[in-house]
Amino acid sequence: MTTTLTYDDKSVRRFMVAAIFWAIVGMSVGVLIASQLSWWQMNGHVLELLTKPLHDWVTAKFGWDWWPFFQTDGMAHLTISRLRPLHTNAVIFAFVCNMMFAGIYYSTQRLCKVRTASDLLSGIHFWGWQGIMVAAVLTLPAGLTRGKEYAELIWPINLCVVVVWSVFAINFFWTLARRNEPTLYVSLWFYIATIVVVAMLYIVNHLSLPTSWTHSYPIFGGLQDALVQGWYGHNAAAFVLTTPILGIMYYFVPKAANRPVYSYRLSIIHFWGLVFIYLWTGPHHMLNTAMPVWLQNLAMLFSLMLWAPSWGGVLNGLLTLRGAWDKLRSEPALKFFVAGVIFYGMATFEGPLLAIKSVNAVSQYTDWTIGLVHSGTLGWNGMMAAGMFYWLAPRLWNTQLWSKPLADMHFRIGLVGVLLYIAATGYSGISQGLMLNQFSPNGLALKYTFLQTLGTIQLFHILRMVGGFLYLSGFILLACNIWKTARTGNPCDETVEITVLEPARKDDMTWAEALINEPLAYILLAIGSTVLWFFLPPHADKAALMMTLLIVIMAVRAFKSSDSWSHWHERLVGNYLPLTVLVFVAAAIGGAVQIIPTLLVFREKNVEERLQELYTPLELAGRDIFISEGCHLCHSQMIRTLPADVLRYGRAGVADDYSRYGESLYDHPYQWGSKRTGPDLAREGGPMAKDPQGKPCSLMRVGNRGNPWHFNHFLNPRQISDSSNMPAFPWLFEQEADVKSLPNKIATQTRLGVPWPVMTPHAIRTMVETQSREIAASLVAAKVYLPAKPQLAGEELRDSLAKTKAVALIAYIQKLGACRPVAKEGPAMPTPLNPDSYRAMPNTPKTRPQP
Amino acid sequence: MSQHPKRGQFAKTKDEVVLRDHAFDGIQAFDRKLPNWWLFTCYGAVAFFVAYWFVYYGTTLVKSPQQAVKERILAVQAAQLAELNQAMAGLNDAKLVHELATHPLYVAAGQATFMKNCIPCHGLDLSATQDDGNGQRIPLRGLPLTDHVWKFTHKPMGLFDLINKGSPPESTGNNGVRMEAWGQKLSPAEIAQVLSYIISKVPEDFTDTPAPAAK
Repeated sequence: MTTTLTYDDKSVRRFMVAAIFWAIVGMSVGVLIASQLSWWQMNGHVLELLTKPLHDWVTAKFGWDWWPFFQTDGMAHLTISRLRPLHTNAVIFAFVCNMMFAGIYYSTQRLCKVRTASDLLSGIHFWGWQGIMVAAVLTLPAGLTRGKEYAELIWPINLCVVVVWSVFAINFFWTLARRNEPTLYVSLWFYIATIVVVAMLYIVNHLSLPTSWTHSYPIFGGLQDALVQGWYGHNAAAFVLTTPILGIMYYFVPKAANRPVYSYRLSIIHFWGLVFIYLWTGPHHMLNTAMPVWLQNLAMLFSLMLWAPSWGGVLNGLLTLRGAWDKLRSEPALKFFVAGVIFYGMATFEGPLLAIKSVNAVSQYTDWTIGLVHSGTLGWNGMMAAGMFYWLAPRLWNTQLWSKPLADMHFRIGLVGVLLYIAATGYSGISQGLMLNQFSPNGLALKYTFLQTLGTIQLFHILRMVGGFLYLSGFILLACNIWKTARTGNPCDETVEITVLEPARKDDMTWAEALINEPLAYILLAIGSTVLWFFLPPHADKAALMMTLLIVIMAVRAFKSSDSWSHWHERLVGNYLPLTVLVFVAAAIGGAVQIIPTLLVFREKNVEERLQELYTPLELAGRDIFISEGCHLCHSQMIRTLPADVLRYGRAGVADDYSRYGESLYDHPYQWGSKRTGPDLAREGGPMAKDPQGKPCSLMRVGNRGNPWHFNHFLNPRQISDSSNMPAFPWLFEQEADVKSLPNKIATQTRLGVPWPVMTPHAIRTMVETQSREIAASLVAAKVYLPAKPQLAGEELRDSLAKTKAVALIAYIQKLGACRPVAKEGPAMPTPLNPDSYRAMPNTPKTRPQP
Repeated sequence: MSQHPKRGQFAKTKDEVVLRDHAFDGIQAFDRKLPNWWLFTCYGAVAFFVAYWFVYYGTTLVKSPQQAVKERILAVQAAQLAELNQAMAGLNDAKLVHELATHPLYVAAGQATFMKNCIPCHGLDLSATQDDGNGQRIPLRGLPLTDHVWKFTHKPMGLFDLINKGSPPESTGNNGVRMEAWGQKLSPAEIAQVLSYIISKVPEDFTDTPAPAAK
């Protein structure tokens, strides 16, 4: 029976237009924050430079003194540390997700030969997603953040994301269920993986306890939070920026080239390879840190195994063009696709490279990582998006592309832009990484200070901004071209004649057939015994390895002896529910094997050597300010197990002063950082301070630098270091710290397992007052003044200062690195689920921590 | 490949290319054996995995990162101490004031090191002030070195120790600013040179150091 149906191309058009809009927003913010790396004035002070001449002119000319102008060293909403999350959220979740939705809605309907199940759900999905992004634009620059990268949005928005994503999932799977095509094409496998894995990652990494409508603490802390964040963060790259785009590649590249896909077998292997392996690699963002070594090893080794499956996708993308290369001349979309796939190949080659511990010792915390990410996002996502838009626009508006030369121009500008960006960040990252790790010729000291390395990379920060600007310009050309194309045509929903599929011919596998069979049994047994190999004590682990080997040999023989494995898989991809379940299982294993043991083992009772000192209420308030201002985006708190890190950031004379996981055990969220635009702060704090009479203070601490130093530094970093590119934070001196919410926050942290002593709200307030006055008094003694109220002095100034955010933040900074030694009797005992504890370490003198 | 490839589901032999029967919205797919070089990278990564894990957990050939970094830093510290002891052995107040601080080459070397590291806090002319561009002198973070006031000590070896170890732990710093331990960044010889340069700027403050006895 045949029938006529019209595809819902309206949703595709909407998502596409939204994607282009957000691309320009997100990239513009990116160019702005890149400029802020080179010129601190771009953090708001530039508005003064722009508006003051007009004000002066108007005043002089007309005698008006009311003409407004901005007078500021920096504006909160325009500060790099608040805008950076906006940039990442806008490009990942607004640009790429909208582009992905456009591609998925377009191709899924055609691959399933059915209209999307529900127009209502499509509408909710579209408007809901745009609403979420508008909420992001409103909250992030306002300093409302969860403080975890790519997971910054506050919890009410998180709930909306979950709801809208569920609407998308229901709409998608409902469409699959109604399909008129017995088998699912490769693209759809990738879409399924995207939907279920992103849901899993997003929910786990956003588990939080709210303290108010705009603030919450993540339920994981310290190492556990770091692990969950690495697992989420890396797989946001995998399942938002990679798998859906691969699905789009599998549909649009063969369509545009009009050639068959290069190899079906390769697509099966690389699909399952990516889905299974990617989720193990999260900890490679914390190599050489306090992350347990077994997790670092797993992450590095799985990252290397990721190379082949990734390049499987590259081969299938590029070699599909065999016999159609001449079409590059006439079809702009293909040009972009080819460039995109090549960048995907480069990025997935570079990724495993940077996951090797010794390479990572250079690349981590530098611009090199940023360069790699942009190789993926500008090179792969941006190029694939542009190609798809150029291919779709004429079809969606039933016309010709307005200007092919303009598209060519976009291609050239964009290509130069992304190459310049990657070269500049790569050069600056590698130079800075090498310089920071370099010893002076006699091997006795480090050769460069952190500030010296910043001088070296200045030029490359400018080049990187130019690269980003070129790339943005290309997208503006694209927007013009698509706009003109749409104007010359009319919105057109494609109508096709299709043969209705009898229900019996699809989804015909029983659950038993799908799940209880030889291939799956072998694969799960092999994975299970490999996991035993990781965790079992010495010798038992080798037995498990032997067993794995045996299972693999038997599996290969079984695979070769008949066609039953390929028949099973051929049937599986005609059954969307079992396929979805198996995709979920394959993806969930990696996270489960890493996260569950970590949650069980790395807890307070097992802490060795050092345990974090609890914050005081004022320090907690300061910490929330630190996170809200985004300080952690430029300052890590992690001394890696690298000689240069220990010498540069560790305490003088302490040979093993690298960070332990116990030192950040109670940090919700963790603060190990991912980038050092400024120096590490792990040991910035210090012991209890003494007042001028030499009596110990009751709560105030003092670290490497005194309170007045920090005060002046937040007010104007250039006063301390001429070449500093840190923004000024003048509003910290005008706004009062949020003290009222502390009892509630402390109660929430207690529920999360932070062992706060029992305190009444009154006691909390008294502690806050005592500590903030001690700090304020030390500032008054050093003759600081409040820029907004320069006339204040003495006790009046002290009480005024004590309420400011600046004082709370100073309290937090002076606490960093405070920990106490944990004495354990006897040698460390082997702990189940901790492979490192079984490791034989000959002649290791058991070290006691130095206080 | 030929214009009319074989039809079927899966390629069975090497070099065989099969065009799969089914088309999805007009998209077809070939099937062929996986490229050998690609397979080798795949197997290579798995083999490396097993070998690396086995060597790290099954043998004692590799140190843990914690152990390795601690040993390295201990070695650096031992070398630093040895060099310091060696430099200190021949160094005393008299030698600093009367030999090194009067030796032009030594003072010049000290000046170069001073210009590179010390002027942000102590100023180009050691006065801990800086011209603000309008003829005004604005104070810098460090203590002035030419005002004949020595906050901690004016014994040359005491000053050496001060530069080497930074502000004493009990000091609250100059407006909260404490000098860092330059021994972490400069060699003892460089510290002695810098100190000679400083002494050469205010020799009158060190006249109470007796000249070395004539040999």
